[in-house]
Amino acid sequence: MREDLTAAASHGVAGTLGAPDPEDDRSAAPPPPRRRRGPGVLLGCATALLGSLCFLVAGAALGPFLLWPRTRPDALRVLMAGARRLAALERLRRAVFFGDRFPEHYTASDRKILRYLAVRCCSGLLCAVVTGLLGFGAVLAGLLVLGVARGSIGWDDLLTQVVLGGVLLFLDVQGLYSLAALDARTARECFGPSERELLRQRIDELAASRAAVVRAVDAERRRIERDLHDGVQQRLVALAMLLGRARRSRDPERADALLRQAHEESQGVLTELREVAWRVYPSALDSLGLKEALGGVAARCGIPLRVDFQVGAPLPEPVETAAYFVVSEAVTNAAKHSSATAMEVRVALTGARLTVRVEDNGEGGADPAGSGLAGLRDRVAALDGVLHIDSPLGGPTTISAELPCA
Amino acid sequence: MRVILAEDSTLLREGLVRLLADEGHEVVAALGDAVTLLEEVEEHRPDIVVADIRMPPTHTDEGLRAAVEIRDRFPEVGVLVLSQHVERNYAAQLLASNAERVGYLLKDRVAQVEEFLDALERIHGGGAAIDPEVVRQLLVRTTHGDPLARLTPRERSVLEALGQGYTNSAIAGKLHLSLSSVEKNLNAVFDKLDLPHATGYNRRILAVLRYLES
Repeated sequence: MREDLTAAASHGVAGTLGAPDPEDDRSAAPPPPRRRRGPGVLLGCATALLGSLCFLVAGAALGPFLLWPRTRPDALRVLMAGARRLAALERLRRAVFFGDRFPEHYTASDRKILRYLAVRCCSGLLCAVVTGLLGFGAVLAGLLVLGVARGSIGWDDLLTQVVLGGVLLFLDVQGLYSLAALDARTARECFGPSERELLRQRIDELAASRAAVVRAVDAERRRIERDLHDGVQQRLVALAMLLGRARRSRDPERADALLRQAHEESQGVLTELREVAWRVYPSALDSLGLKEALGGVAARCGIPLRVDFQVGAPLPEPVETAAYFVVSEAVTNAAKHSSATAMEVRVALTGARLTVRVEDNGEGGADPAGSGLAGLRDRVAALDGVLHIDSPLGGPTTISAELPCA
Repeated sequence: MRVILAEDSTLLREGLVRLLADEGHEVVAALGDAVTLLEEVEEHRPDIVVADIRMPPTHTDEGLRAAVEIRDRFPEVGVLVLSQHVERNYAAQLLASNAERVGYLLKDRVAQVEEFLDALERIHGGGAAIDPEVVRQLLVRTTHGDPLARLTPRERSVLEALGQGYTNSAIAGKLHLSLSSVEKNLNAVFDKLDLPHATGYNRRILAVLRYLES
């Protein structure tokens, strides 16, 4: 259902909002050629005429039964069955001639169907009138040309006719366009979620991902605090203790040995600090770009790691950062928990979508609800991306993220 | 003295063991968590237990809980807890009943070796050692009409030292005053703060801390 909605959204309002449409480039049929639209519009006029006739006949036949309370439900059922057939016909017309893709399992309410058909009949009949006017205008234009050829029309007359005809032609074409747009919009609202529903759904998504961003930030801060306390601070305290002991020692040789130890320890503190700073934010990402930063991950990782980097265009900064953290978190996880012996990272840009895929040959069983992976999911969702975690017991684990780069 | 250590950072634990050995103390057990701490205390009956508050498995307050239990079950064993940050309510829990053989220090205080060793000695001698930072935070109150604002700087520093657990004579040494002047200052403090002139300095520490926390 979620993906159905997204598919509908790609043609609906959310499409203009830049909603992700994971189905778009895989299962979607190519849109029908534009030349099919003319016949589609004409057919629309015919179906509207048919619909109006049906309603007239059905109204006349069922009217008395609809008024009588006892027979009303049955009459309504008959009426609705017909209406749904008509609606299905319209749906087919939209799909074949205009390439609309409506969600498979979306069923509109009776009221929605009836309202749609009413609007559809009116707009279709109007469309027929406008098309007729266009034909009438063409005949008039032909007569005008004939008149000019015979020389029976003066220049001033011709000018007036051309100006007036031009204005009328513009109005007529404008009307046709508006009616086509109305046809598309009413069909979308009846056979799929309405724009309002899509907007609401999008707002829900945004609210959720905004909350998730805050959650992710807090989790990161907690991690940084832990890193500082359990790493750097402990080392500094130990270092200070060594120095204190050296100062209190009365034996110069021993004091010297303690000082040497303290000196070594201070190197350790520096290394630790560099590591923590790197985990907070890899500065190489800004200066050298994603590829180099990932190379850094591979160099730091204890497991052999192959990086396949297929990105031919510059990436937006948030996408780069998210991609980096997906890889580094996945690699850290694998190194800690999976007992993997080899890993492979693949980063590829196809169209406007970056795919990041990390695979290891470990024993699997990664917990998607674990804090690290949940944080990643939040980070990716904040960019309208999706994170897939596939980690069956016994392995292998594949973590992949799709990030839109629009 | 005989000491039991409970500290999860290996680096720090080893450092403490070495430091105490340098000073001629005996570390009878050094643990990485609080799980077996009580059993070890029961077995060895050390003079003093030094415990980190935040330890595995939950990294919250297991060290503190163990310390409170040791105080209840083995009153003759001194307890010194090390805290990552100043947590007033931890300090309050620890000092709930009395201020004897007890200490609450910031972890960083261990880096000042002399202060740490001094705190151990004070606790071992039946006294208290409260981190100056705790007392300082309790003293930082500048609400209007605060009686603390009426103290002279000298009286304030005497009060601060008493809050940390120093005896009158130790305060005199620390602030380079005569014993009688310390007593005079303290009496002035107790008068200005409406504190009962309690006898026994432990009770006075508690009075001061309670007053500052209220």
